[in-house]
Amino acid sequence: MRTPGNTSGHPVRRFRSGIVWTLLTVYGILTLYPFYWLVISAFKTNEEFYSKPFGLPGKWNVENFSNAWESSKLGTAFGNSLIVSVGSLILTLFIAALASFILSRFQFRWKGLIMTFFVVGMLIPIHSTLVPLFILMKQMSLLNTYWALILPYTAFALPTAIFVLTAYLTSIPRDIEEAAFIDGTGLWGLFTRIMLPMSVPALSTVTILSFLHAWNDFSFALVFINKTGLKTLPLAIANFADGYQTDYGLTLAAMTLSVIPTIILYLVFQEQVMKGMTAGAVKG
Amino acid sequence: MNALRSRRFIMLGLAPAVVIYALFVFVPVVWSAYYGFFNWSGIGESKYIGLDNYVEIWHDSVFWRALKNNVIFVLASVFGQIPLALMLAVILHKSNPLQRFLRSAVFLPMVLSTVVIGMIWQYIYHPQIGILNFLLDALGLESWKLQWLSDDKIAIFSLVPPLLWSFVGLYLIIFISALQNIPGEIHDAAKIDGASGIRKLVSISLPMIWGTVQVAIILCISGSLKSFDLVYIMTKGGPAHATELLATYMYNSTFTTYRYGFGSAISTTIVLISLLLIGTSQWATSRKKKES
Repeated sequence: MRTPGNTSGHPVRRFRSGIVWTLLTVYGILTLYPFYWLVISAFKTNEEFYSKPFGLPGKWNVENFSNAWESSKLGTAFGNSLIVSVGSLILTLFIAALASFILSRFQFRWKGLIMTFFVVGMLIPIHSTLVPLFILMKQMSLLNTYWALILPYTAFALPTAIFVLTAYLTSIPRDIEEAAFIDGTGLWGLFTRIMLPMSVPALSTVTILSFLHAWNDFSFALVFINKTGLKTLPLAIANFADGYQTDYGLTLAAMTLSVIPTIILYLVFQEQVMKGMTAGAVKG
Repeated sequence: MNALRSRRFIMLGLAPAVVIYALFVFVPVVWSAYYGFFNWSGIGESKYIGLDNYVEIWHDSVFWRALKNNVIFVLASVFGQIPLALMLAVILHKSNPLQRFLRSAVFLPMVLSTVVIGMIWQYIYHPQIGILNFLLDALGLESWKLQWLSDDKIAIFSLVPPLLWSFVGLYLIIFISALQNIPGEIHDAAKIDGASGIRKLVSISLPMIWGTVQVAIILCISGSLKSFDLVYIMTKGGPAHATELLATYMYNSTFTTYRYGFGSAISTTIVLISLLLIGTSQWATSRKKKES
């Protein structure tokens, strides 16, 4: 068996696979370097940006973090991001699961049409809706409310969510619902007590995708929110950087703080995140 | 289960999804096409001007520049990310610890907000404190030092590495899962026939995952056309429109110069271009498959 990691065998081959692995390790280090640089630089003073661009800070300025936390109102931004992300997540999960249950387990007219209607949404460039959505929100007086983000995040998460969930629910055998009907379970009961618990793997995929999308979004927040107290994390970080352009340590400390939650989540749920990304690949 | 009750269940169950999706995704796209026929500043009266906005777009040099930049992004993604990700996937699709580590490393930028990605790279390119110029100094390549983001000839190309860095992981994961789905017997058969290494990749693995490659190309195209955050954060489309993209131009026209009608017309054009490019790529890749 010849795999790239297999170092046994012919010396030329071994030499070649040695080169491949060296190159890959270098590539991996290059990929991680920006993260490493971000974290060590967050502890530096402004002078050290010039004097030791690559080195570790002489003194680890932990106060950069507390100063950044306070002057950037990061706490409020965290709270706002959490509200809109969790809000749109709950809405997405419930609405998409219900719709997918129906689309996967029932036969009716318009079914194909409705599926196509949702799938097309995965190809629509989000920004092409910014102007009309802004006008719509203005007319509905939703600008500068949490709903201005929760509703569009939900709407844009629906195509992928329905796509992933419908595929998963279709694979559940028919016998299960027949058994449930014989036991006297109604449609609603079949959905909440049988289908929902059975689709936990697909639901967690949707959870990760929708959460990351809402948590990291910048453009909707930029256009629909301009009240300081409602700004989400990416928006707050971008604004903070504009204001403290020349205080490098402080800005990088704010950035580091903002990426910690997603990196921790990623490290904990790595396999799931990767699976989710593959399943939701069509979203891009 | 009576038919009437299940009909009602179907309608009520689908209603929330259809309504929210239609209201916040579908209707805006249609509305955008409609607003494109008006001259409107966002407040006050709007005036119907027919196709004037579209005619203006056609004669607008900034629009063509933005389109060209978008095409650079699409080409860089399709011919940069896809081959790179394919190569990495072929090497990394098994699961020893080093492979798992590299996979995670390449994927990690995917979980960051584009705002943070843009800001990190802005610092890397910074003319005074940026590590890129420091590195060139250290290597004795002072003459290679450039104003990476403010030189209008190179700024758009400076935006390509962050684009690749942040999205390669997505395609890597997609390709790895496709490769893992190839049944083991096919590899065994190939081995018996004496095919291995590059040969096996070109004549067996690649054709078998071609469908996935096609999906990845569509994602690449629609993803690059969606680029906005990265450029907005790093250059705001400048200097002098050198890094303007369709999306940033639309944003600037609408929310900076308050030309809602014109901005809407650009939005509609973006949707049309995106559908056109995706259609073309579908056609090109499926033809290639037939030939091989």
